[in-house]
Amino acid sequence: MAYLDTYTNLLTSATAAHLLRRATFGPTRQEIIDFTGKTAQQAVELLISNAALGVSVAPPVEMDETRSDAGQPFLNKPFDHSRSGVYNNYIQYWWLGLMTEQKGRPSVLEKLTAFWQNHFVTAHTIVEDYRFVDRYIRFLRANALGNFKDLAIGITKDPAMLVFQNGFQNTKELPNENYGRELQELFTVGQKDFAGNNNYTEEDVKAAARVLTGWQVTNRNNIGSTSFGSTFNPVRHDISDKSFSEKYNNTVITGRSGESAGDGELLDLVNMLLAHPETPKFICRKLYRWYVNPNVTQEIEDQVIIPLATFFASPANNYAIMPVVKKLLSSNIFFDTRNIGAIVKSPAELVIGTIRFFDQPVPDLTTEFVPFRVMMNYIYFSLRLLEQNFLDQPSVFGFVPYYQTGYSKNWINGTTLGLRGVRTDALSNPGPVIKPDYVLGIDILKELRTIQPNFEDVAGTSAITCEQVLQRFTANLFAIELSQAQQDFLIDQIMMKGSSPRATWQHEWNAYRSTPQDETKQNVIFWRCRALLKYILRMAEFQLF
Amino acid sequence: MKRREFFAAASSLMLPVMLDGVGVRSFAKGSAMVESLRQTSALNNDRILVIVYLGGGNDGLNTVIPLEYYSEYNQLRSNIAIPESSVLKLAGNLETGFHPAMTGMRAMYDEGKLAIVHSVSYPNPNLSHHRSTDIWMTGVDSSQYASSGWAGRYLDDRFPSYPQNYPNGEMEDPLAVQIGQITATALLGPQQSMGITLQDPATFYQLIGEPNTTIDSNLPCCDAGDLINYIRQQQVLTIGFGSEIKKAAEAGVNLAAYPPASQNNELAEKLKIVARLIHGGLKSKIYYVELGGFDTHAEQVGTSSTEGLHAQLLKKLSDGIAAFQNDLKLQGTENKVLGMTFSDFGRRATSNASKGTDHGIGAPMFVFGTGIKRQLVGNNPDLINGLLPLTPTANNTNRDIKMQIDFRRVYADILNDWFGSAASKTDQFLFSNFNTTSLFSDFVQSISSGSWINPEIWSNGRVPDAGSTIKINPGHIVEVGHNITAKNVKVEQGGELKFLGDYNVNITG
Repeated sequence: MAYLDTYTNLLTSATAAHLLRRATFGPTRQEIIDFTGKTAQQAVELLISNAALGVSVAPPVEMDETRSDAGQPFLNKPFDHSRSGVYNNYIQYWWLGLMTEQKGRPSVLEKLTAFWQNHFVTAHTIVEDYRFVDRYIRFLRANALGNFKDLAIGITKDPAMLVFQNGFQNTKELPNENYGRELQELFTVGQKDFAGNNNYTEEDVKAAARVLTGWQVTNRNNIGSTSFGSTFNPVRHDISDKSFSEKYNNTVITGRSGESAGDGELLDLVNMLLAHPETPKFICRKLYRWYVNPNVTQEIEDQVIIPLATFFASPANNYAIMPVVKKLLSSNIFFDTRNIGAIVKSPAELVIGTIRFFDQPVPDLTTEFVPFRVMMNYIYFSLRLLEQNFLDQPSVFGFVPYYQTGYSKNWINGTTLGLRGVRTDALSNPGPVIKPDYVLGIDILKELRTIQPNFEDVAGTSAITCEQVLQRFTANLFAIELSQAQQDFLIDQIMMKGSSPRATWQHEWNAYRSTPQDETKQNVIFWRCRALLKYILRMAEFQLF
Repeated sequence: MKRREFFAAASSLMLPVMLDGVGVRSFAKGSAMVESLRQTSALNNDRILVIVYLGGGNDGLNTVIPLEYYSEYNQLRSNIAIPESSVLKLAGNLETGFHPAMTGMRAMYDEGKLAIVHSVSYPNPNLSHHRSTDIWMTGVDSSQYASSGWAGRYLDDRFPSYPQNYPNGEMEDPLAVQIGQITATALLGPQQSMGITLQDPATFYQLIGEPNTTIDSNLPCCDAGDLINYIRQQQVLTIGFGSEIKKAAEAGVNLAAYPPASQNNELAEKLKIVARLIHGGLKSKIYYVELGGFDTHAEQVGTSSTEGLHAQLLKKLSDGIAAFQNDLKLQGTENKVLGMTFSDFGRRATSNASKGTDHGIGAPMFVFGTGIKRQLVGNNPDLINGLLPLTPTANNTNRDIKMQIDFRRVYADILNDWFGSAASKTDQFLFSNFNTTSLFSDFVQSISSGSWINPEIWSNGRVPDAGSTIKINPGHIVEVGHNITAKNVKVEQGGELKFLGDYNVNITG
């Protein structure tokens, strides 16, 4: 079985759920049903074609109902410095909304954009100007499935990146090396190859910085301005030739002058970086760690990373991203048992994934902007507390668990385990009020009524059992199915509190069926099911995906 | 809530956790076995290390300013240079001064509680944040890789087979505590983190709830099984240590004034928690805290070079450490705590046009506490003849600071002299033998043969002065070309003082 060959079994609910957990921020139960029975190829093609539906979406709006411009888009208005912090948050809410929405058309778009956002990192607290942040994230979304070369060129000139990595202060007199280094170390060739050899030299950093001299940004934080962007200023550009080391086959980038010098040399630079044999491997390894398993062994390097990289950079593919994502997500290795549950959920996968799994709808951004704000504010603070604040990473390396030894294990420690539990506990109880008729949290009674046939016929139709209740809450919830011993423990020790036989549940449930408006009867159901849900969502197994 | 309901709810916070069939609380605290273990405990050595990481690469030259080369300093970085008159002077040290924001650390220096280790780095320095920080944290050569941290390896050896059956009667507290979020590499043992990470002891205990034992210790295959095992262990340890931390936090008191909350000094807030835990009797050996923001590629100074980003950071650092030291003094815990700072790397001697500095090589480390025996290791970077590249080319005007002291020499001293680790063990933790810097020693020793006036042959990286007690080690020939005055000179058997003429040795001790 070649690891990268297409997985040919029809998707079961378990493998469909695996694909959806990895390709999106987590499936709804309906999506799992919809994808069951497809081939891996059909499923992945659908996830990719659905991305096209999501590219063009309504812009963020003013979400403060006390303001006269509430509900109106703000990005098309003259720059308002006083709203900078708030608008940056709205842009974050807008994106979190897209990750969380459930329109029944799951796509790879937001998860892949998040990959690029954590790859080509900028942070809004440093960039500041919200229009820059908006342009940056839209650029990544629009090119997430496009061509890596376009991404590398575009991001280098992106105003947010020019600010974040000091590219706009990089001049021939005194080059600022920040971006010249990160472009190589983090964005393209990577610092070292798999065997630990350096992929470039310190002199290459200096030479790259000189290639990139002269770029500037316009109207950043300029109150009332209606346009902004990046420009190339030939006066600040170093026109001398730039020589690179043998790591780049001693490439010399010819120094140029005039208006087109910046673009011309940048193209040469990116061509040189993409011709480095480590670049496609670096990107493919990072994609593998994001989608399949952070643990890259020599076998995986040889059998997956190298062939995928060869394909990525091949003349026929020429750095197109979409075919690589498609190949990886529909491969045998992706569905291999050893890779199921092999990653610790990031806070987004935990929080957004749980919200999606239990069908918590997202209010419409434009028509219900206040409920939208309330819900996204809740998600935003949850992720921020757990150290995953998108568009505001702690450093240019992105979130620590995507690069530090131990990788996704780094999401877990004493404090974060507690905090994760507190956030999932909130979903087993009634949580924040999103709007008068919508309280965030698992609707236990509604969930159970959907599995009780003939709800009102108490005498004629027997009550759902503990096993059915557990099944309702846990089917396809875990990447790793629970053992029989664990299921028994959950029912007898948690749901039945180690004190009542299972049949007691059916009496209690029937008592509720007889008088569904009786609060004391309802409370018994809540008492058992909330304890169960709380426990389930705190289990080590639930932290994996 | 009814009593029965309360217990049910409390236990439902717990997870199916069990280690090798032993519940985490199997050593009840008051049991005779535990008491006897405590009395005969091998861990009566109560010394503590506090590691302060300055994230991003601190600009050493604007932190510790080489007054003896002031005009060269000013020339290299006129757009960010601290005016000579603003530099804080140090007692008994005319050649060196501190950034004006560092009044607290200056006072510590003047009281003999702070040491400067000059131009610390390692051979073949790497200027990537990630890689260089990893080298510092794992304690390796720049060409080597290790997945465990230097402090983690020490703890792993001292507390074998952690985390199985910890906490236990012998060590009921976490081995190391990080105040922060994501665990630092320095604390990683061969298998996993040797410490626990918390933000605040009070909420920490609320978050983790009460312990419970249960059922299923089976694990699925492959990585998923490893991860589940890891998470369950974290749950057990966290629960097991939670009450000890809470107890220490409640018993401990901060006696000194810390910077007010309005200053947002996050480092001071973290050190305040550390001081409270130490005072409360937590036996953890290592504490780890971070202060980020030192990657000052641009605008590291404001309109005036004594203000701005770097000044704010150094103020936080200095105020935080000084308040912490003062707290320890008032608590009476001062003599058992040692602190050290480190950063990703230094920054270039030459500033850039954006009033910032790019990644560089050597930078000072600080070691603080009453346990230090000397305050200077190495000399100011030589800004006349000692910059890299040694002979700059026409289009490379960017100068860097050469290494004087390998950081692992400081680690080795801390392990050997502060924690009392056996030298052979220390060599194992650091993968090699490193010369002492004599930070914790009354005498200076030769580390190689050479001329007396070459600072590199001396353990403290400085030419001995009249107050030095000196030891010439076996196999070292030290050539003397002038009269010497010293407190004492001892030539070990096999060592030699070789006089190049008719010179005297004047012993004052």
